[in-house]
Amino acid sequence: MDATTFAALGEPTRLQIVELLRERPFAVGDIAEVLSIRQPQASKHLRVLREAGIVGVEAVARRRINHLRAEPFEQIDDWVDSFERLWEIRLDSLGTFLEGTP
Amino acid sequence: MILQLFKKKKELTFERAYAAPIAAVWDAWTRPEMLRQWWGPEKTSITDCEVDLRVGGRIHIVMEAGEQMGKYQGTRWPMDGTFTLVDTQRALRYDARSWTEGEQDTTTIDHVNDVTLSEDGDKTVVSLRITINEIGSGAKMAAFGMKWGYKQQLDKLDTYLSQEAQ
Repeated sequence: MDATTFAALGEPTRLQIVELLRERPFAVGDIAEVLSIRQPQASKHLRVLREAGIVGVEAVARRRINHLRAEPFEQIDDWVDSFERLWEIRLDSLGTFLEGTP
Repeated sequence: MILQLFKKKKELTFERAYAAPIAAVWDAWTRPEMLRQWWGPEKTSITDCEVDLRVGGRIHIVMEAGEQMGKYQGTRWPMDGTFTLVDTQRALRYDARSWTEGEQDTTTIDHVNDVTLSEDGDKTVVSLRITINEIGSGAKMAAFGMKWGYKQQLDKLDTYLSQEAQ
């Protein structure tokens, strides 16, 4: 599991940005306006989110539109799946152990 | 909205039937010398295994990655728990934390484990329910809540991303 995903989400304003982007993609100016923060601040947070792979950006006309990327969320899913798989293996192993016990 | 994220839980449930008497299954689960023989997956060893089988007693198990696990060799995954229910040959419950040694802040999983044994003819049925209450720090929990608490939004995200890809 990549710790940068969590470090990036751990900042309250960035978490708010992620919440906002769940609704739909937004330009930086709109994000700043909705969250009542200054645009340079919004840009700084978006950069951290982009570096962590949480947010992607595409150019639409002359605007840069930010959107959420699915991969980090899938990673979180995989991480808990691995816990589930560990238990599947462990329960198989209990079966093997019990077969060998008189 | 953000507060709601912290209330989310995830449950894992398993049910297995074993061709063994209930007493044997109970012993396998509660006697350290037996527990350590099956608890760790392949390529790991159990370096610590303590079971103080009473309410308030401790269960402490450490798995360590073996040589075959390559770059993970030597990594230790402790679990530390406390029994909250001990009903001989019927049920066990323990509250526990599991983590990767050295990365406790970001890897700790808080979980409640319910183990129930029942007889079905000549088989013993093991039902296991693991409730994951928290993962890592607040940030991790928030991310976790997002994944499961807001599946719908993520489905929307998937739809959005697949449209983007076209």
